Amino acid sequence: MALDSLFDPDGIAVVGASATAGKIGYEAMQNAVTYDAPVYPVNPSGSGTVFGREFVPSVTEIDGDVDLVLSCVPGLVVPDVIEECGEAGIGAAVIFSGGFAEAGKDGEQLQQRLVEAADDGDVHLLGPNTSGFLRPGENLHATFATGTEDIPAGNVAIVAQSGGIAFATAFRAENEGWGVSAMVGLGNAANVGFQEAVKYFDGDDGTDAIVLHVEGTDDARGLLETCRSASTPVVAYNVGEQDVGDFAESHTGSLTGDHKLYEAGFAQYGVPTVRSVAELVDAGTALADCPRPSGPNVGVVTAQAGPGIAITDRLKAAGATLPSLSEETQAVVEDILPGITFSANPVDTGRPMPEFGEVVEAVARDENVDIVLVYELFEEGLGFPTETLEGLPEATGKPIVFATGGARSALEPELEAMSECGIPTYTTPERGADAVTALVQYARRNSKPAVAASEVSDDE
Amino acid sequence: MSDPLEAATTAGRTALTESEAKEVLSARGVSVPDGETAQTPEGAVDAADRLGYPVVVKIESPSVQHKSDWGDGVGVALGLQDGAAVADAASAILETADEQGIDAAVRVESALEVDDGIEVIVGGTRDPSFGPTVLVGLGGVAVEILQDTSHRLAPVTSEEALAMTHELEASDLLDGYRGEPAVDRKAIAEAIQIVGEFLVEEPAVSEVEVNPLLAQPDGALALDALIALSPDDRNESE
Repeated sequence: MALDSLFDPDGIAVVGASATAGKIGYEAMQNAVTYDAPVYPVNPSGSGTVFGREFVPSVTEIDGDVDLVLSCVPGLVVPDVIEECGEAGIGAAVIFSGGFAEAGKDGEQLQQRLVEAADDGDVHLLGPNTSGFLRPGENLHATFATGTEDIPAGNVAIVAQSGGIAFATAFRAENEGWGVSAMVGLGNAANVGFQEAVKYFDGDDGTDAIVLHVEGTDDARGLLETCRSASTPVVAYNVGEQDVGDFAESHTGSLTGDHKLYEAGFAQYGVPTVRSVAELVDAGTALADCPRPSGPNVGVVTAQAGPGIAITDRLKAAGATLPSLSEETQAVVEDILPGITFSANPVDTGRPMPEFGEVVEAVARDENVDIVLVYELFEEGLGFPTETLEGLPEATGKPIVFATGGARSALEPELEAMSECGIPTYTTPERGADAVTALVQYARRNSKPAVAASEVSDDE
Repeated sequence: MSDPLEAATTAGRTALTESEAKEVLSARGVSVPDGETAQTPEGAVDAADRLGYPVVVKIESPSVQHKSDWGDGVGVALGLQDGAAVADAASAILETADEQGIDAAVRVESALEVDDGIEVIVGGTRDPSFGPTVLVGLGGVAVEILQDTSHRLAPVTSEEALAMTHELEASDLLDGYRGEPAVDRKAIAEAIQIVGEFLVEEPAVSEVEVNPLLAQPDGALALDALIALSPDDRNESE
């Protein structure tokens, strides 16, 4: 792959490496050495060693394979560094410094020089003006940020326009007990942008969903086309509903596109959309962990009426369909639970009970149902019905999503067990409903033909 | 047939006149009211006699896009019932144009009973990032104040265009409200589709607006139309 030198390098050089704690060149070095490949500190004024590696004066004088440079030097000298990368046959560089296209006329010129140097030397650039990227599964922390080693490996790739949002999203995933296959902050996207990154992670075996944060790009059409041709599900968070153009321009050097066009475009090109970092993580996890939904019909099972009502309300407002369950399913449910509170859709069992898992299974096997959403407050004595649920998503080919509530200490091991069953579990009714909404959007927006039309007719 | 689009592009103009825009859109399948262009008040009266009263008289000039705001309101005269009224309206337009030193003619069109339908706006732009896009909205106040619009990237299928009309907050109005007849949603959708295809096929066009499009129980008529062109040099610099 074209971007292997960036995301799967055989060796790393940290340009501007420093032995002084607190400097970017020190932090980047500290992060880089966790990677299982040679790492070279580069600094013409450095002497001795840092993290046990000997300083090298220039990337052209490294004796060994290097694919990736982490550039910790000030913006003005970056074009020269990239020129040397080209000479040394180094295929990629992460450029942390700012002062480029996001910083006015002079910065634009500097970025132009940078891109020319990169084109001449065939160097893929992440940034400038980025906090870098992570590939936790490879122990690759190409960033100066600290504390990133706690972000676990997972199957969701984060591709964010802003390095800050990239980290906000990755840390949110970590807080929820989930991991990421990659976290990428594109920054100014001088020559590696959304399209290149989405294509790369679409081809990455460890990535089962790609989540995007988009402020604005100068080729939205190209981004949308790339999303449509990706076989990996993509979810997008577009910021800019209130026309924050001025802020976005100074922030990343590109104008925030028209939010309505992004929303319409993502819908047309098969991409579910969300409205927050938290939703982005939730939707990404649902799409990554569940089988692909084959339709928008949601079967809801709840052990408590109130949360079930809240879920149903939210799903309907989002345009989801709650079909009637087949007579066969209703008979099965009534057989399991004679005198059940409500056996249509949602199915309300009234309380958690040993047979709860069987009810979920009956609904999951209903031919009218494409996606199952379950709410059950956690009850210590019963636990979650993992024995019944294990293998059910695979057996039915349908997404099964749980929402629950319970004390953190009691829930944590249980959530892990659910995760192992391939059942994403969320800790409020609404988060469960929103994650399922992303699945519904995915099913609708990727069905043939003319999705948008069906999205509407079901609203009516 | 001389192509007004090609002629205007070659001449380096940045917009078509209303007549030209209607001719271009009409050739692509958008219905427009019957109308003629006249150079004199007498010509306007002759045209009105041929079309039948009532008629609408409007300024026709490449330099005037907002006709009803132009010349203290003389740019558009609605519901004219006889030749005298047409002659007065046409004279006012031509005299004001003379005073301002702009080239102008007079467009005379059959007046439509706008109560027999709902005014919608159908438009499209060429966005630097998204390329051709289309929109539909309820006309008048709804689009200006409430921004009740639906957008898509062009081209759109007929199903998508129809879905756009359903996405409007005021969608139910189109189905007939308080005994009003339902209007022809498919005709609105067709206009959206045509505008989208037009933008896709004609890179010189930067903006299209049919406002209002009068949606009626059977069909939809472009009462006004605007086509803006981007000069070649602007295209190349992007």
